[in-house]
Amino acid sequence: MRPSVNRPPTPDARLDREKEPSVLEIINIKLIESGEKERLMELLRERLIECGWKDEMKALCRAFVKKKGRNNVTVDDLVHVIMPKGRASIPDSVKAELLQRIRTFLVSAAV
Amino acid sequence: MSSKINHHRINGQIPQPCPHLAEYRTRNGSKPFRALQECLRVKPLGRAAIRRDPSEVPRCGACGEAARSRLYACVTCAAVSCHSSDSPSPSHAAAHAVSMPPGHEIAVDVDRAELFCCACRDQVYDRDFDAAVVVAQTTASTLGGGSIRSSPPPENLRKRRRVDYRPWTPDLRERVLMTRNSSPLQRTEGADGANLSNLPWGLRGLNNLGNTCFMNSVLQALLHTPPLRNYFLSDRHNRYYCQQKNNASNASKRNAASNDSNSNKNLRLCLACDMDAMFSAVFSGDRTPYSPAKFLYSWWQHAANLASYEQQDAHEFFISMLDGIHEKMGKDKRKTQSQGNGECCIAHRVFSGILRSDVMCMACGFTSTTYDPCVDISLDLEPNQGVSTKMGSTKSHHSCNGEADSMNSSQNCGTSTLMGCLDRFTRPERLGSDQKFFCQQCQVRQESLKQMSIRKLPLVSCFHIKRFEHSSIRNMSRKVDRYLQFPFSLDMAPYLSSSILRSRFGNRIFSFDGDEPDASNELSSEFELFAVVTHTGKLDAGHYVTYLRLSNQWYKCDDAWITQVNENIVRAAQGYMMFYVQKMLYYKASEKPTPS
Repeated sequence: MRPSVNRPPTPDARLDREKEPSVLEIINIKLIESGEKERLMELLRERLIECGWKDEMKALCRAFVKKKGRNNVTVDDLVHVIMPKGRASIPDSVKAELLQRIRTFLVSAAV
Repeated sequence: MSSKINHHRINGQIPQPCPHLAEYRTRNGSKPFRALQECLRVKPLGRAAIRRDPSEVPRCGACGEAARSRLYACVTCAAVSCHSSDSPSPSHAAAHAVSMPPGHEIAVDVDRAELFCCACRDQVYDRDFDAAVVVAQTTASTLGGGSIRSSPPPENLRKRRRVDYRPWTPDLRERVLMTRNSSPLQRTEGADGANLSNLPWGLRGLNNLGNTCFMNSVLQALLHTPPLRNYFLSDRHNRYYCQQKNNASNASKRNAASNDSNSNKNLRLCLACDMDAMFSAVFSGDRTPYSPAKFLYSWWQHAANLASYEQQDAHEFFISMLDGIHEKMGKDKRKTQSQGNGECCIAHRVFSGILRSDVMCMACGFTSTTYDPCVDISLDLEPNQGVSTKMGSTKSHHSCNGEADSMNSSQNCGTSTLMGCLDRFTRPERLGSDQKFFCQQCQVRQESLKQMSIRKLPLVSCFHIKRFEHSSIRNMSRKVDRYLQFPFSLDMAPYLSSSILRSRFGNRIFSFDGDEPDASNELSSEFELFAVVTHTGKLDAGHYVTYLRLSNQWYKCDDAWITQVNENIVRAAQGYMMFYVQKMLYYKASEKPTPS
């Protein structure tokens, strides 16, 4: 099978084809191809529900929508307001666990 | 068609359809998302995504970004652009919509398969699109075999509001009222009372009146059903008052049309009155076994077809006696229209819940939903290899938990659990080609998927395990002796309609009919086991025994004999009916014999 890393990403991408993909991109592609990314996303979802983060965000969103009136809010507005708070309040333990999972994956993928 | 579709209800309000989406729909005819449908992929864990080619890694056409922000594909020209409302850099998706001629506003999130309007900068919803995604997801999940439903996230740490238990102490006025209107109970203290008085109130053996262990076992469970016990012990159904009222109404009826004595007797028949008498006797403090003869006689009159000294099915008795109470009290209150919501009589107020059944057309995604009241939930044991004639053909191929596969060669598949049975109960099931259902939208009979869920939880959940199997092929019945594990605490949240629909449809509009966010259910989905009716022996000759949990101690009620038992004995027992009460109503503190 041809490694998809070298494949042009989308037909109309105006990228410099000669440019080597960055490490970040390679990791991303490896994560996707192995299905690990989806598992990580699912794990993250679960952890964020367990620790109450999701409920917390939901409450923030509700409060914001109530304040602005339900017909005057777009998803964009919501994300714009909630994202900084959300990013800041993800527990370190969750970040650590995910980081550990990614590390383990990279070690196993590199071998 | 399109205007009708966009006017769905969410919580009774009609959201304004985005003008860009409406325009897109009118421009693209009857199937605006046909091209997109071919790119729908369902990922292994059941989430939907949009990919032209399964292994494609989409990236933004403008900046090449692939991972950091959300990627949207324009539904008109398939150009992929990034969009993040947070980043200081302008959104390439919005830029795409502006740079192109009108009609490129609607885009689809490639990783979530959700629609977005780049001009309104808002999520938009389309019924046809969502239906297509749901059909793809459900088809993938039922064809996939092994994992049927992506298991719902454990929601243990959800914050719950609780009602604190506060013991009631009568004030002066109430105390005077009580002493004036009642006689004190005699407490059997003394010689034999030494160990008996340690037993909780109301623990009293019931004499076997000739193969009546089926009745005794259920009655023991009912006598200790917290809401039922509270109802009768707080004099909500007074048998003297009820009989008086009956006599009065009977007398007036007798005058109107001279009824014969038989129907007269039936009118006076009231199972609730007999329950009231039994509660008084059992909670009187007297520990000598009680004979529920009056109750048995009344029940025989109510269910004449079951009136004999033969062995009966405990579950059948349970249903029949709840019916009896309901019939009488429902008639009194003239509230037959409110049957479903369980407000009509004490039996339904305690035991009745509402089941939701969704039948979805596999071709167009149209779902027809029905709600049915129920007083218990009958669960199939896992299909037994070889003798699975009763199960549908699709059902018998799966076993509820993975490990079971390796073990089901033997009869003793030790891994069956009550949760497994509930998973099976609420799992989407493909209806066979012989029972195609008529789809209102397609106007033809179509292959369909059926899924059950619990719309409203009862205060007390009774689970009946179908241990008595009837094979229509061999025309014989048999008993399934397989062991079933049941938890002492049970969270019903994963089986609620709201959870089932959420895990199935996610962020989509789809036949929600505006009734799903039911916070009351979420608050009360935790249940505690308080009674187990077990059956030992064979189909034609067996014995029922009930285990009761009072102040966190288990007692075995075997007709007239009551003994304290270790919880391991209960765990090992062959459960036939399990009674769970909402945790909020199961006050461990209140069960203590004398807290003061």
